[in-house]
Amino acid sequence: MTSFAHAGHWLTTVAYFVPVVAFLVWLVITQIKERRRSRG
Amino acid sequence: MTLIAHGLVGRSDLPIPEWLFGWAAAMVLVVSFVALAVLWPEPRLERERWRPLPGGLGRVLAGRPVQIACGAIGVFLLGVVIYAGLRGTQSPTANFTPTFVYVIFWLALVPVSLLFGDVFRAFNPWRAIGRAVGWLAGRISRSDLPAPLSYPAGFGHWPAAAGIFAFAVMELVVSDGDKPENVAIAALVYSALTFVAMALYGVESWIARGEAFSVYFNLISRLSPVETRDGVVGLRRPLAGLAALEPVSGTVALLAVMIGSVTFDGASVGSLWTGIAPDIAGFFADAGLSPQRALELTFLVGLIGAILLVYAFYQLGVVGARSVGGGFSTGRLARAFVHSLVPIAVAYVAAHYLTLLLFQGQSIAFLASDPLGDGSDLFGTADSQIDYSLLGANATWYCWVGLVVAGHVAALTLAHDRALALYDDAKLAVRSQYWMLAVMVGFTSLALWLLSQVNS
Repeated sequence: MTSFAHAGHWLTTVAYFVPVVAFLVWLVITQIKERRRSRG
Repeated sequence: MTLIAHGLVGRSDLPIPEWLFGWAAAMVLVVSFVALAVLWPEPRLERERWRPLPGGLGRVLAGRPVQIACGAIGVFLLGVVIYAGLRGTQSPTANFTPTFVYVIFWLALVPVSLLFGDVFRAFNPWRAIGRAVGWLAGRISRSDLPAPLSYPAGFGHWPAAAGIFAFAVMELVVSDGDKPENVAIAALVYSALTFVAMALYGVESWIARGEAFSVYFNLISRLSPVETRDGVVGLRRPLAGLAALEPVSGTVALLAVMIGSVTFDGASVGSLWTGIAPDIAGFFADAGLSPQRALELTFLVGLIGAILLVYAFYQLGVVGARSVGGGFSTGRLARAFVHSLVPIAVAYVAAHYLTLLLFQGQSIAFLASDPLGDGSDLFGTADSQIDYSLLGANATWYCWVGLVVAGHVAALTLAHDRALALYDDAKLAVRSQYWMLAVMVGFTSLALWLLSQVNS
């Protein structure tokens, strides 16, 4: 149980940063696509 | 590590998990960003709009008699802090000095500066003493006094950043940082250094760029609609004071110290830090340091790490903004947008220390009556108690979220307005702000995570 509780605690911490990670991933993908479009 | 670092917060009983508030806050920022892009097509804050208070009130409030009175109060309070710290009880919660310095001075002046402008400038004891000594020297001297040295451009805000860092070290790293005697000695040492600097570079030059607390509270006061110009108090557009900020060398470092120190203060009570701190302390202890010094060095490492993390995250946003185009260097962009970090710093301080100010701040009522902790009752308030029912746990969490969101929306607004002024192409300006938006969302998530650590 302790290991599940510990994992739950870490998951809660990760949950706080999901918005910023998701946004950064979206940003990077968007910029890569724009660069390919401008080269093509 | 000060015993009074955090206020008391009971367990909250929220309708949704705390991390979901973080997601909602991030959505508010994204919606705000879209609203700014659509509804704010031209820079507005860069345009000057200041008008004096009506009826000559502005001139009276900034007049010489008020300045002299406020300065005298500031000098008196500095004297009380030093005297009470050296002569009074060494129990931090029973002595006037630690609560006045760490709560009333360091925290209460933040909302006062937000509402009423650069109030600290009037009460600044070091400025008051410097001006008084300068005036006296001018009257006594038979010839012209030598001109002060020119303040080196390379110094910029670096002395102020160093001063705020030293204060954070005292507050968060030093074992007896809240011991009244240590606070009093620190005040004496800081006073001596400030007097030497003012003698070298001139009072107003040092106060404007180098004196840590003047620079700190001036930055915060730039969010206020109240501004004093040429000896007259007046009103300006809120946030416009920050748009007029001229970043110099060390301004980014100063903001990194401001945000990073609060970040570390919050993280230091969380499981992430308490998990790794013993290992770091053990490393230093194995190197031959005493347990106390090993722990202090560990906390110093943590504090510096938090400051560097904040600096790196801001630079990530700057590098990202540069990648969009426009021909600006990272240095130029870092200076151009550093003013948007000020509302974030204010939001961090306001949220993190809200309960400390509300609860421990009340103790100044009995500490003012018994500053030395020797049983005196100067104003008849020595028996007053702290009312812990002022703010419940749920209300505290909602206030924290509100403060964090408000601060980051203000930051977004400042960055958006600056981008419109900087870039010729409005679409490019908005695209450059995607990265700043990511930085703001990051700081919002970090702030709420830190507050949840305190709450747990």
